[in-house]
Order: sequence, then C-alpha cells, then structure tokens
Amino acid sequence: MTIHDTGDEPLDPAAMLALSRQQQAKVNTTYAKPMVAMLASWAIAWGVGFLVLWSGIPENNSPVFVPQPAATIIFALLIVAASVTCAVLGIRMNRGIRGSSNYAGAVYGMTWSIASFGAAAIGVALLRAGMSSELAGLFFPAIYSLVVGIIYLAGAAIWRDKGQLILGIWIIAVGSIAPFFGYPGNFLLMSILGGGGFAVGAIAIAVSLASTRQRVARG
Amino acid sequence: MATLATLDADGSIAFPRLQELLDMTAGNLSTHLRKLEEAEYVSQEKAFRGRTPVTFVATTKNGRRAFEDYMEQLRTLLGGAS
Repeated sequence: MTIHDTGDEPLDPAAMLALSRQQQAKVNTTYAKPMVAMLASWAIAWGVGFLVLWSGIPENNSPVFVPQPAATIIFALLIVAASVTCAVLGIRMNRGIRGSSNYAGAVYGMTWSIASFGAAAIGVALLRAGMSSELAGLFFPAIYSLVVGIIYLAGAAIWRDKGQLILGIWIIAVGSIAPFFGYPGNFLLMSILGGGGFAVGAIAIAVSLASTRQRVARG
Repeated sequence: MATLATLDADGSIAFPRLQELLDMTAGNLSTHLRKLEEAEYVSQEKAFRGRTPVTFVATTKNGRRAFEDYMEQLRTLLGGAS
C-alpha cells in the first residue's frame, strides 16, 4: 500500500511510519536510479569496446572482424559516451542540493578527469620513450583499471557504499591480472570480466530498486 | 520531514527539487513548509541562482531532533517493526 499524505487528516502511527519510509525510499531511489545507467554505460563501453579491440587483431580469428583503426575509434567513442553519460547524470543527481556533500561530490567528479589525464600522460611519455604498441595494449587498460578502481574505492569511503567497494576491488583485480594473459588476450579478459563486473553492478542496483519499490508498496 | 532528514546536517535543498522529490504541488508544499517553519523545524532561505530567485529549505537542529524522537516513538509504539 502506498501512503499518500493528502491533507491535514492525522494518519495513524503505522501509516506515519510507512509514509516516512516511503519518502526516504524515494530519495534513495532518486540517487540509485542514475547509478544503473552509469554502470550500464560502462558495461557496454568495456564489454563491447574491448571485444571490438580484440576482434581487430586477425590472429584472434574472431567470428566478427573489425579492422583495427575502426576498432580503436569505436572503443574511444564508447569510452567518451560513457564518460559524458556519467558526468551528466552525476551533475543532475545533485542538482538543487547545497551543503558539505557538494565539496566531496565536486572533488570526486574532478578526480575522474585529473586521474584520467595523468594516466594518459604517463602512457604517452612511455610511448615516446620507446614502449611498443603491444606493451601499450597491456599498459593502458591496466592503468585505467587501477584509476577507475581506486576512484570507486574512494567513493565507497566517502559515501559508505559497499557496492562501490566491491566494484572497485573487482576492477583493480581484473586490471591487475589481465596483463598476465598477454596482448591481446588481456582485451578479451577486460571485456568479459571488466565489462561483466559493471553489468553485474547495474543489475544488482536495479534488482535492489525493484525490491525497495515492492517493499514500499506493501507498506 | 523524512525527505529533509536525508540531507546532511548542514545541507539544504532547493524548493523545486524538494517539490519534485515529494511529488506535491507548490501550494501544498508551501503550506506544509510554513507550518514546519512556524514550529521552528525547518528554515527557508531565499537565494539567487544567477538572476533567478530560489528558496532553499533546511531542517533546523530542533527539527532533526524532533523528527528522530518522533520516529523512535513510532518504532517503539509499533513494537520495533522495521
């Protein structure tokens, strides 16, 4: 039963408690719903993106072959699309709210850009110092997995979010292990386990939201 | 109050955002907020976003305490049902 406070009529205690829980659940849902889209966009970016990169290497005998230049462009576009999606949703989530959480949110948001640029700069420097394209294929996914994982762990600390904690540890683990599979096998691992990790996260939040809606509806 | 209680202690929320979260008409929400303000449970601050006036709503310390006490009483009355 969903409680609607329609006016000044006093509600009985059970109805009041249900109404409070309903309102608090609504707030939690408002913040959790965009997370589903954010994680789903990364699931697609990593899952499809790394798979396309892997398929662009002829020796892999991929059933679907995407030439490397096109594969690289597709990968880059997917990453940009996911980044933009998260930036827009992140900003919209906190619209109209003022307080100390704004500072944490702003710093968290900036960290993505700063860390990403830093990782890119290190990679470019290594390329200029003679890193081969094969090693670059191992380095870049690994360093970005570390960046993403650490930022999720920071988010887990700031917002006491177990979901981000689990996801952060998973992404760091996948990114750290993938290089041991060599190039280009690491792309396949990143696609299945990295993209899969984000997909599982998105599904877990969606299921939790559905469960919350049912619980609130029952009163 | 339940929605406002989810804010940080020093947090406030813009009236339109609160209206969206509560799915209430502006008039209905204003009436509720006026009563809560008279009881000194919430405060309302008029600010500007660029040239657009915006009212930010926050709970007072009294308001947060009163809400927590009330919720505790409800839970006790209802036998600790969660």
